[in-house]
Amino acid sequence: MSRADRLRLAFAGMHPLRRAGLIERYGSARTVLDAIRRGAVRVPPAARRAALQPAHRCTARLQAVGVEAVMRGDPGYPEHLAGVPDAPDVLFVRGRLPPTPAVAVVGTRRCTRYGAGLAGAYGSALSEAGWPVASGLARGVDGAAHRAVVAAGGVGVAVLGSGSDVVYPPEHRGLHDALLDAGGAVITEYPPGVPPNGWRFPPRNRIISGLSAAVVVVEAPAAGGALVTAAAALDQGRPVFAVPGDVDREASRGCNLLIRDGAVPVLGPADLIEALSLVPALAAVQRGGPGAPRRGDPVVGAVGPAGATVAEIVESAGLPVHEVLARLTRLEVEGAVRRDGDLVLPGR
Amino acid sequence: MFAAVTSVALVGVDPVPIRVEVHVGGSKPLFGLVGLPDTAVREAKERVRAALSSAGYPFPNRRITVNLAPADIPKAGSAYDLPIALGVLAASRVVPPGVGEVVALGELALDGVVRPARGALGAASVAAAAGRPCLVHPGSVGEAALVGGAEVRGVRSLGHAVAVALGEDDGDDADAALGEAVAPVRVPDLGVVRGQRVARRALEVAAAGGHHLLLEGPPGAGKTLLARCLPGILPVPSREEGLEVARAWAAAGRRPVPGRPPFRSPHHTASTAAMIGGGSGVPVPGELTLAHRGVLFLDELGEFPPHLLDALRQPIEEGVVHVARKGISVRFPCSVQIVAASNPCPCGYAGDRVRSCRCTPGAVARYRRRLSGPLADRLDMRVVVPRLDPGDLLGPAGEASAPVAARVSAARERQEGRGRLNRDMGRAELDALAWDTAAVEHLLDAVARLGLSARGFDRVRRVALTLADLAGIAAPGERQVAEAVALRGPG
Repeated sequence: MSRADRLRLAFAGMHPLRRAGLIERYGSARTVLDAIRRGAVRVPPAARRAALQPAHRCTARLQAVGVEAVMRGDPGYPEHLAGVPDAPDVLFVRGRLPPTPAVAVVGTRRCTRYGAGLAGAYGSALSEAGWPVASGLARGVDGAAHRAVVAAGGVGVAVLGSGSDVVYPPEHRGLHDALLDAGGAVITEYPPGVPPNGWRFPPRNRIISGLSAAVVVVEAPAAGGALVTAAAALDQGRPVFAVPGDVDREASRGCNLLIRDGAVPVLGPADLIEALSLVPALAAVQRGGPGAPRRGDPVVGAVGPAGATVAEIVESAGLPVHEVLARLTRLEVEGAVRRDGDLVLPGR
Repeated sequence: MFAAVTSVALVGVDPVPIRVEVHVGGSKPLFGLVGLPDTAVREAKERVRAALSSAGYPFPNRRITVNLAPADIPKAGSAYDLPIALGVLAASRVVPPGVGEVVALGELALDGVVRPARGALGAASVAAAAGRPCLVHPGSVGEAALVGGAEVRGVRSLGHAVAVALGEDDGDDADAALGEAVAPVRVPDLGVVRGQRVARRALEVAAAGGHHLLLEGPPGAGKTLLARCLPGILPVPSREEGLEVARAWAAAGRRPVPGRPPFRSPHHTASTAAMIGGGSGVPVPGELTLAHRGVLFLDELGEFPPHLLDALRQPIEEGVVHVARKGISVRFPCSVQIVAASNPCPCGYAGDRVRSCRCTPGAVARYRRRLSGPLADRLDMRVVVPRLDPGDLLGPAGEASAPVAARVSAARERQEGRGRLNRDMGRAELDALAWDTAAVEHLLDAVARLGLSARGFDRVRRVALTLADLAGIAAPGERQVAEAVALRGPG
């Protein structure tokens, strides 16, 4: 299998399972390409054109969009992912892939404020502990986690379900750029120009878990991509952590199901960091300590890892309303907390 | 032969004396009416003719000319029937000319009975100024009596009016049963609001300084209930203010509930004319003016069309709305306190702790943009009203309105020395106040770190001033500034 043929086959942008099936039937990338040329294998016209273009055109296209093709077996290919049986043959990479395994923070696109707050809390805690964070680039939990990683100056890896030059959803263009600027990476197994078709996302999730030493499901309903990622993680032998939620809460149902089926419940970022250090294979990974939270102030104490509303803080701080409001501003000005609408989040 | 009776017209909400001049002469039996009458006024001729004959008076078989002076003010409605009839009687010398020495207002039925007409309050003001008795329908005596110094007499019929005008009868007392029913409005007591301590605090501060307030929260959180409680903690209007409110409402042909600041809650489908005033012909006040000296509640702020919110901005700032129509331009007062309520997004669940939001990010962004228009800039305070857990609903009742109202009144008294409400303090006046140095430093830190705009800076200072008034201290300190920053408005 020559590199050129592997690259050309990757440019066909087929479903990974289909591609794997063809390789099994025909033996190598070259023979699969021959079969496509002969018409023995029917693929969509665009895929056929892409697969049959000369390799130098593929490289030129990659250069034009600033993407590097990293193949399985190359030194730059993530070691942790290479051990996964159905890992992609070619990865299209923008930015720098971290040399060490990441921790995946995943969850629903339609998250509640609670879920977004938690995703951010895990994202920043992992960054501060020195873990790269892997996730998608979707709305909801993915975006919240990556935003926190960028804000904490950590390394984030976003795995796309489209070509590298197609940022979806479009409003995450800024986040995409910020991830790269912060030293993270945006990767995909699909060639440039491929649109974000719905069917491309489930197979993408095996890459997220494959890159990771562990998967944390922050908030997920009973069906959805986050559970696909968790299933892939189990297949790959990665530990799965889930954040429990109220049993009657739709948005946490998936997490609770995972816990019922054996996932490790985590109650907070510190809990997770500690649990990660206990996973023997990971203990060697270098860690820093998370920033010591400010203790003593009842207002700070009332702001949990996922944040709290002003009303909740008033209820739990046991102080008069005007006192809590004044203290919140002082803490906000000091940077001990930050506000997002009504939500008060722990600062940095 | 000539006679004149005084009546009244409203220009905006201001009463203007109208001289109803009647000339009877010549031999051709004609009845002419001039002086910018509208259709209803012109039809007075027929009602007056029939009422005179029903009341047993002869109708002069000569040329009658009626002029409503000044002739350049448009007159509307049926209120000139009574003065015209009195004028005709006086000018034709059927009764002594002394009947013209009154201010009269009322519609006439064909059988000579007097019906209530709009403008009794204005007629009483004119009568008080002219030192003449004021003749109105008995049902309007209560409204007219709000004006101190007017000698108000209730008249039942044309014959009765003649007797009263000639001093042969004292007229009827106020008869509320005949008057327009004033719809009772229940102002809920703050005691029924459970939990929501932050929103309650914001409401108290808003009442104390007259600040415009934005309540944000999911459906069913209690935003509307909180807003409806506001009139119950605002100071009871003074006599002067009550009269202003009554004038504003009278111009719309309505009577306000006495003793409470008005509370108006226009729907977001209201037209611009319904909102700020207007209409064809003589402009009538809109919701903005009906809320004068009270509260204008804009529920679902994001649903109001932007042009309508835009139209509100300047009147709210100036306290006066100018409405111009062909040939006439009027000013309606509108010193109002805005309370706006809004969902955080179209479905209402963005940012909810438990339920997921079903809106696309684009829809949320569009919705938010509507809230950040020029009107949102005037909202001094924003507070989030979260949905309550059932547990909170079973919790202890909140503090009742009365003690809150007492604190609000005390804070308002401290503002009197400044000559205006804290809401209306301009930048120069704020600069001229004594500020604690620690407060100023804290404020500047907040500006630097939280990105307060220049306008936001002033709004924080205004609210801090009110917090100091509530706390009973002379100058706002760091503590007040910090709380004001936490309560700061949108945009």
